[in-house]
Amino acid sequence: MKNTLLILLLLIIATTSCERDDICIDEITPKFIVRFYDFDNSELTKSVENIAVRIIGVGIDSLYTDNSTTILTLTDSIAIPLIVTDSETKFIITSNSTDEALISIDTLTLNYTAEEVFIGRSCGFKSVFNDVDYDNTNNWIKNIEVVSDTITNETSAHVKIFH
Amino acid sequence: MLKYFISISLILYSLNFFSQEKDSIIYKDSYGLRVGIDLYNPISSFIDDSRKGLELVGDYRISKKFYIATELGYTEKTTDLDFLNFTAKGQYIKAGIDYNTYENWLNMENIIYFGFRYGFSTFNQTLNSGIINSDPFLPEQEITAPREFNSLNGHWAELIIGIKAEILNNVYLGFSFSGKKMITTKEPEGFKNLFVPGFNRVFLNDSGFGFNYTISYLIPIYKKNK
Repeated sequence: MKNTLLILLLLIIATTSCERDDICIDEITPKFIVRFYDFDNSELTKSVENIAVRIIGVGIDSLYTDNSTTILTLTDSIAIPLIVTDSETKFIITSNSTDEALISIDTLTLNYTAEEVFIGRSCGFKSVFNDVDYDNTNNWIKNIEVVSDTITNETSAHVKIFH
Repeated sequence: MLKYFISISLILYSLNFFSQEKDSIIYKDSYGLRVGIDLYNPISSFIDDSRKGLELVGDYRISKKFYIATELGYTEKTTDLDFLNFTAKGQYIKAGIDYNTYENWLNMENIIYFGFRYGFSTFNQTLNSGIINSDPFLPEQEITAPREFNSLNGHWAELIIGIKAEILNNVYLGFSFSGKKMITTKEPEGFKNLFVPGFNRVFLNDSGFGFNYTISYLIPIYKKNK
């Protein structure tokens, strides 16, 4: 009978063993991902030099910092957050932001419907974005191609920008 | 005559053996209804005011080793997490059997048991506040208006291991540990049953556990030979 008790105790421990579900490790609200391509050869990615991104209305139109890198010296893609409480986020994307001679500024506006989704105990809620519309100015950006009109994950680019 | 000697002495010996058996005291087991109250809820509400509750426990002995057992209770619990704050409140009932594995000496009536329960709870959940978790660059986006999720329920199974010791005549102090597994729940829309009264915290794999400290009184109904 002692063995039965021991087995039962082990069974209880096995089925109720503690999980690390108090630390948020699930996907939270996806960021908007842009990939930069060469306007002359649309198959090739083309990096933007010294790109700087501002989100209008957040902070005092503060420069978006991702992993404490304010200005990305040479990058072919950026991931930027969208405002979940509004249906519009406006970005000011500057290329060659450190070079007075080459600096060029464009505005990219996204309109969407934010949908709230419950993730779980450790992460709370997130938003996904449906019916996304894009609008942009054309200074250094020559063309944009919408890959997806929903933003639900961060696995691939949502928009291609040709420059 | 001598050849019957061994047989006669064996007969005498066995008669002697039987008479000794008649002299011995016969201890009897009490059978009856044991009712009690859970002490874990009042103790925990003393330590942490986010939990309030009451649980009544009862068991009835049906044979030498088996008891029919039940628990009924009410729990109100507020859970505060990094990105959520919610309150679950409701009532529950558990019913099942306990199996005593302990051989008592003489007239002792302690039990070390394992048990099985089927549990059912009806409850409400209120999401007091929540955070829409997004990039920390953005200002924190909070859900501040409380949301009510009513008429939820849960069905689960429990395995229990416990002990009940007679500390005074017919008064028992008990302790038990239970492992639980949720079978089905009626989930709220846009939220989840993260805490179920009687089940406690629902872990990711639908399991849970609980502790019970009880004090109970045995109302003896009849006695039976061991």
